[in-house]
Amino acid sequence: MIKTCNHLTKHYGKPNGWSLDAYEREGGYKAARRVLTEMTREQVTDEAKKANIRGRGGAGFPMGVKWSFMPKQAPAGKPMYLAVNADESEPGTHKDRTIMEENPHSVVEGCIIACYGIGANKAWIYVRDELHLARERLWAAIKEAKQKGYLGANPFGKAYPIDIVVHTGGGTYICGEETAMLNSLEGKRGEPRLKPPFPAQAGAFGMPTTVNNLETIAIVPTAFEMGCDKFSQQSALHDLKDGGCRLYGVNGHVKKPQVIELAVGVTMRELIYDIGGGVTGDREILGVIPGGSSTPVLLPTETIHAPDEKSPLHRFHGVNVLDVPLGVDTMRIAGTMLGTCCVTVMAVGTCPVLAMENLMQFYRHESCGQCTPCREGSAWLKRVVTKILDGESSMEELNELHDIANSIMGNTICAFGEGTAMPAMAFLKKYRKDFEKYVRGEKTRKDARLTVT
Amino acid sequence: MPSFKLDGKTIPFEPGESIIGAARKAGVEIPHYCWHPGLSAPANCRMCLVEIKPAAGQRPIQLDVLSLDPKTGEYKYQPKPKLQPACQYPAVDGQEVLSDSSTHVGDARKAVQELLLLNHPVDCPICDQSGECKLQDYWLEHQKTQKRMRDEPIHKPKAVVFGPTIVYDAERCVMCTRCIRFMEEVAKDPVLDMRERGNLNEISVAPGRQLDGNYTLMTEHVCPVGALTATDFRFKARVWFLRSVKSVCQGCATGCNAWLDYDPRTSSVYRYRPRENAEVNKFWMCDPGMLSYKRAHEGRVAEPRIAGKTTTVQRALESAKKHFDGVPRESIAIVFHARYSNEDNWALKELAITLLGTRMFYRSGGAPGTGDDILIHADKNSNTAGLNQLAPSARPFADLLADIKKGAVTHAIALGGATPGDPEADLAELRGLKSLVTISAHDGPLTKAAAVVLPATSWAEAGGTYTNAKGLRQISEKAIEPIGSSQPAWKVLAELGRVLGVEPSWSKLKDIRARLLAVEMPSQPDVSAQAE
Ligand SMILES: Cc1cc2nc3c(=O)[nH]c(=O)nc-3n(C[C@H](O)[C@H](O)[C@H](O)COP(=O)(O)O)c2cc1C
Ligand code: SF4
Ligand code: SF4
Ligand code: SF4
Ligand code: FES
Repeated sequence: MIKTCNHLTKHYGKPNGWSLDAYEREGGYKAARRVLTEMTREQVTDEAKKANIRGRGGAGFPMGVKWSFMPKQAPAGKPMYLAVNADESEPGTHKDRTIMEENPHSVVEGCIIACYGIGANKAWIYVRDELHLARERLWAAIKEAKQKGYLGANPFGKAYPIDIVVHTGGGTYICGEETAMLNSLEGKRGEPRLKPPFPAQAGAFGMPTTVNNLETIAIVPTAFEMGCDKFSQQSALHDLKDGGCRLYGVNGHVKKPQVIELAVGVTMRELIYDIGGGVTGDREILGVIPGGSSTPVLLPTETIHAPDEKSPLHRFHGVNVLDVPLGVDTMRIAGTMLGTCCVTVMAVGTCPVLAMENLMQFYRHESCGQCTPCREGSAWLKRVVTKILDGESSMEELNELHDIANSIMGNTICAFGEGTAMPAMAFLKKYRKDFEKYVRGEKTRKDARLTVT
Repeated sequence: MPSFKLDGKTIPFEPGESIIGAARKAGVEIPHYCWHPGLSAPANCRMCLVEIKPAAGQRPIQLDVLSLDPKTGEYKYQPKPKLQPACQYPAVDGQEVLSDSSTHVGDARKAVQELLLLNHPVDCPICDQSGECKLQDYWLEHQKTQKRMRDEPIHKPKAVVFGPTIVYDAERCVMCTRCIRFMEEVAKDPVLDMRERGNLNEISVAPGRQLDGNYTLMTEHVCPVGALTATDFRFKARVWFLRSVKSVCQGCATGCNAWLDYDPRTSSVYRYRPRENAEVNKFWMCDPGMLSYKRAHEGRVAEPRIAGKTTTVQRALESAKKHFDGVPRESIAIVFHARYSNEDNWALKELAITLLGTRMFYRSGGAPGTGDDILIHADKNSNTAGLNQLAPSARPFADLLADIKKGAVTHAIALGGATPGDPEADLAELRGLKSLVTISAHDGPLTKAAAVVLPATSWAEAGGTYTNAKGLRQISEKAIEPIGSSQPAWKVLAELGRVLGVEPSWSKLKDIRARLLAVEMPSQPDVSAQAE
């Protein structure tokens, strides 16, 4: 079901839509003012849980629950932090950038509420270095909010100092992994840390830290403004605790690729045909990647398998994957992940082998190289797929290819390993016949296309 | 004490200990590259993955992997348990851990091995690590298959000079970061780091720096493979021809436990390697200490000398006797040496007191240097504490020089060559003696000033005990055969006694050890050190 919203996007494309004036004209900063002047920290986290905001960074962890992991009391004399993840580098993902550029004050206001709710006095926003405009807009918004007294020593007159700093990273994908981001923030090499300890125990500079995706934080003022329960109820998956609305992206082989704000509950088919204007050249769908390159590809013919009648997901049993509401749990039961919720469409005519090579090239290049299976395995995957495309491989090698992914799966320090292995396994399982054609010489790299018309 | 089960075997542990650490103490090895008992655990090599059975009532964490039916080309998802690194995972009371007995663990180890060797040059014939390399050992234990990648491996820099002592080969490196962590955590000099990403990673030295200081050679020893090699040992020996004895470093008063590696075919010493001892040096040694193995061959007194001219032992002993003819025995000064074993110094004392009847005791030793708060002691003598215990009345070397000047000392018997002061100045003063008989392994002012020099074995050619600054008496074993005509100093002293007309009470090392234990040093020497 398509239910459009414009909480975050109402400022998009308007002249000076990113300014404090524009933001306040639409009711901005009311939520933060109310939270700081009328609510206690506990009330804020309790209310936040009701919003059922599932983390927008990929893993879909409930935001309110994460906030409540923060210690009640900061370690004696030590600070606690909010770290906002705006490293957005997952191929096929392009939502956070629009918020930073077009509605930066929602981020600032979200940071104020979140800091108060988790007991932090300082927030970092970790932005990829390439996003110059995003960085400028965030800094400008912080400056405006400071001048108004919404940030600083007494935001909204409350003696609860809040400061926000925009930090630009070196621009690597792995710095989006939350603990690598913290290392990078600290000036260290952007390598994921071992967990435990989790960031809420020892995060930035060893202090308790909440890491949230930028969109997660940006939607917080809306939830508090509406009332968190009411916010959640916008969603068709409210009962699955997947609430509210979010930015959906649709890209790849669609006529109108875009980012759009919708209540949770839209299906992939609606996103592709009604929002995206249909598949390029009115072709059939070869496959869809639901939320960034790390989420396993789905075939348009797949259906949901949820035979357990007691499961709340049973209602989707037997439904085509394109016709279920796009949510964290529905995509999990579909055998993939919602990820960043930006759907990439591959039309018939696309070469899945070339698509896999393209992805594996990315993972080979972006692996931090810390742990053996990911460092060596990602590069080996890429090498074999390239050989297959170049007609230099053999059936024997193809038959061993999944084994490389298997040896990465579950054996690495961070989820990058699974993010590499899972899509690789899905491409192999679902498009094996195409791989065979290259091995047998029935197709060559010259036949391989990523673009269609 | 809490305990867990590893492949059915009960392993006790201290709370907070990792599975791998507790297993090691119990004598069970879980294969590993990156973990080192003396360093932090980055859990990056993934060789130590184990299967941990979920606690009662808990669901196992499972992951889907693919299996293929090659006949149909059909894949199927199959669950496998999530494995955990034993180096990072804390031991939990009552937990059941599967290592060698789990097929999933076996598969994971095999996979890690294959992946580590994927781009490895496998240039074992020209690699110094060959024979003591974890890649070789674990290939046999955990892989035993040919690697499936037949293509040209990735090439990376080779023979990169990291500094005066260490050479790096990026192609052989398994990126375990032990070297980085050693420099940061133990040497407190974070001069190494990793650069690049993915399988182009390599270890690099901080810009503007080289890998130098007093703790560089340890990086080679913590390196589980042949990526770091020591300039000093490069292309000198095949380790399987070398034999090792438990030795004690002679570099300073810390007395680090070491393996002294030598080639029995040529009776020559090749290197020192640290030997674990929790109370002394943990797992480490310093560079000057590790290079001090060279003293087994350098600066040695190999043959007896009379007035600087080489002679035979018999003639030298007769000449010594002549030098002391008519000299009242109680006026012969005795110079002990802090670089010689308790046994050697004891023999000298015994000769002096019971046989000669002199108590004119002085002491010598090498010059002090600088120390640090890691291992290195400012006292550069290996047995100062032992000497203090055996001959507390021995007066400082400066007093000896003063007494020579005054004419109060005219004749002396000395152990060792080195003196604590400026060698030239000390030599000039020592020349004031009418006669000096020196028993020494190494040349120094005391041998240069001597009328008669008798060659002694160094610590490498004879067993002995040395008491370190902490008061631990430690055994150092014999490695090579005596050089030239040298013999253990305690033996030479017995012969000297005999030509001076007295009958020594000791003829074997055993006798001296027993006497030391009974009277002077009533505790067993330390042999607690454990092999790594
Ligand atoms: C390889 C990798 C890359 C990631 N990149 C991002 C990213 O660019 N932005 C992001 O918000 N989360 C990213 N994540 C997820 C974060 O680790 C973390 O789960 C998230 O920031 C938490 O915020 P949320 O709970 O609000 O989603 C990445 C995770 C992995 C494993
Ligand atoms: S899984 Fe990959 S990205 Fe993550 S820590 Fe290991 S090597 Fe780095
Ligand atoms: S040089 Fe050796 S110790 Fe250092 S990371 Fe490489 S393999 Fe490990
Ligand atoms: S600290 Fe002293 S005893 Fe230890 S290795 Fe160095 S010189 Fe030898
Ligand atoms: S020993 Fe390397 S991961 Fe445990």
